[in-house]
Amino acid sequence: MGPDAAESDVESARDVLRAILPFQSLSAEALEALAHAAEEGAAAPGQTIYDVSAPATYLYVVVRGTVRLERPAPPDGVHAARAVGAREVFGWHAMREGSAGAELAKAAGAVSLVRIDTRFVLEVLAREPNGGAATIEALLVALSTPAERRAKRAEHEPHRRRRPAPQRALSALGSYVVSVLRRPETYGRLLGYVLLFGGWYLAVDVLALPRFTKLPGIVQVGREWLSPDPVFGLSIHTSVYYDHIWASVRRIAIAFALATSLGVPVGLALGASTTFRDYVFPIFELLRPIPILAWVPLAIVVFSGSETPIVFLTFLASFFATALNTRLGARSVEPHYILAARCLGASPWQAFWHVIVPGSLPYVLTGLQISVGVAWFSLAAAEMVSGQFGLGYLINTSYTMVQYPTIVIGMLTLGFVGFLTSAIVRFIGERMMVWRARELALTAP
Amino acid sequence: MMTAPIVWKSSARRLPASEVRRGAIQIVDATKFYGSGASRVLAVDRCSLDVRAGEIFVIVGPSGCGKTTLLNAIAGFHELDGGTIHLDGKLLCGPRQRARLGSDRVVVFQNGALFPWKTILDNVAFGPIVQGTLRRADALAKAGQMLADAGLRGYERSYPGETSSGVKRRVEIVRALMNRPAVLLLDEPFRALDALTKSVMHEALLAIHARNRGTALFITHDVEEAVFLGGRVAVMTSRPCRLKKILDVDIPYPRARSIVTSKRFRDLVAETTSVVHEEALKAHALGEKEG
Repeated sequence: MGPDAAESDVESARDVLRAILPFQSLSAEALEALAHAAEEGAAAPGQTIYDVSAPATYLYVVVRGTVRLERPAPPDGVHAARAVGAREVFGWHAMREGSAGAELAKAAGAVSLVRIDTRFVLEVLAREPNGGAATIEALLVALSTPAERRAKRAEHEPHRRRRPAPQRALSALGSYVVSVLRRPETYGRLLGYVLLFGGWYLAVDVLALPRFTKLPGIVQVGREWLSPDPVFGLSIHTSVYYDHIWASVRRIAIAFALATSLGVPVGLALGASTTFRDYVFPIFELLRPIPILAWVPLAIVVFSGSETPIVFLTFLASFFATALNTRLGARSVEPHYILAARCLGASPWQAFWHVIVPGSLPYVLTGLQISVGVAWFSLAAAEMVSGQFGLGYLINTSYTMVQYPTIVIGMLTLGFVGFLTSAIVRFIGERMMVWRARELALTAP
Repeated sequence: MMTAPIVWKSSARRLPASEVRRGAIQIVDATKFYGSGASRVLAVDRCSLDVRAGEIFVIVGPSGCGKTTLLNAIAGFHELDGGTIHLDGKLLCGPRQRARLGSDRVVVFQNGALFPWKTILDNVAFGPIVQGTLRRADALAKAGQMLADAGLRGYERSYPGETSSGVKRRVEIVRALMNRPAVLLLDEPFRALDALTKSVMHEALLAIHARNRGTALFITHDVEEAVFLGGRVAVMTSRPCRLKKILDVDIPYPRARSIVTSKRFRDLVAETTSVVHEEALKAHALGEKEG
């Protein structure tokens, strides 16, 4: 069977193209255009269609017969040769990154073929609506060898070999601490502490200034704090100290979690929807100026026990801070980002999720830091009024029982734990906004 | 075993590329007012334009003349008060009828609108991912390929805030082209760039256009930019915006930077400038009266 015989039953180019898999999603006009550009040819057994060194700028379709693709020096040693049968495509090295030109195409028997200039294929596909992209993807798959397909899949799953999450979080925290220690401003801050405690020491213990005589001195407080046998029954060696801390931290955690999970969505809705804002914002403006202390009586009356009112009061302050900052964030998102997202085909909901949410994140995180601060503020106030444990309660009872050093211990502990919680919030925030951190790092003086 | 090369024969004459192009825009009597009541201002007055599929059509006019209004109507950002706009024979928008926002017409904004919270790669892959036309991994792979084609390999994992304004503009154009839009709407995209970056961007845009062949509607008030890029240049009047004159830029593509010193280029720039200048003077006088 020679080339002549093959030629006699050549189907029309259009039918051939329609039958191959990658072109199935093409429009009729595109197929027509491709068919017009197609060239037909026949190869005798063993005839070279293109050589290793030739730039394969054509897309070939086998109409009849089998073509053998050979690689003289296979990089993986596995698929040195493969056969391409009728209605299958080959060629077009440029489409396949990493394997350019390293292939020889030979007719295994008598073969009839159709070829199209790939530049023209791209041109036609570019005119297709979204289907063009699908066709290119399908062509890519059809043109690549099984080994290449496997390699490509592996390339897109690089995350599998990552370390487990807790380990990653720990090492991230570790490197964060190291970076803090390396900053020169860390030592400036230390100097601030030295001035504060030095001033305290001077005022009470050394100079004994008139108004400071009732104040416990730093030495007295320190000795009480660290004593295994404290005069007033509370130091780092007593379990009751940790009960107080734990009670406060637990309340903060619950209140902060509630305030964040409610405040962020409400704030986003306030910022993004005018209808929601019209209904809800007046209520906000009425309730927000009421100081937390003014809520205490009602909270105690409405909620049972001593735990719920405290958590409620702490939550309330946090919630307002988070919701209002989030609203500000949602409103600060430049409208052209939303238009751009819509232009690129995003639905209103997708635009909300991909643009408004990440765009307001800087404000949300500022809000969360304020929120954790006011949470401690209102927690201490609430604990002073009700409750049986907690640092605020400790400070208040120590006052009524004239245990002044314990007051200072409670205050300093409050300060320290409060600082720690906002540091954690900031740390998580910075992790969530790599883009922002990198941007700021560039613009920083 | 070497044999004679295969003889290839064409099954039919190749269609000229223009016949498979899409992206023809017909603007007929577009009219747009701003404001209401006594302060109602006529921004665009019965403006008619024919943009051919596949060309770079540049609209020049003094700042604030209403060029952007036209572009926004095509994009679907607002409606017209009169007239119609057709895209490839289909009605896009008419009086009180806003065009659907869609990825067949993508805008490249004056101030840039790459999402700062997404990496360059995620930005470019955004369109196909939200439209659901490609799986995420495929969209990312294709985005990487398109970035590489545009000479932007190596920026994939950067955030927009870490790159130069020239890179950002190119990425934004690539992001638009990922959607294979019929029309690319460019609203003074290079306005904020310095002169050197700008001239590099012009050549980059021409190269990208030569590869992708969509219609590009480009708005600017920079006459040299208009003549260098445009196949045709429309000069608009100021307040209200009307078509004043269309100039054919008969300098063939691909255009190299060197054409800016050619006599033909200088003549076209001079001709365009004189038409634009007239309008700028009018706008200036109008501004003084109102101010």
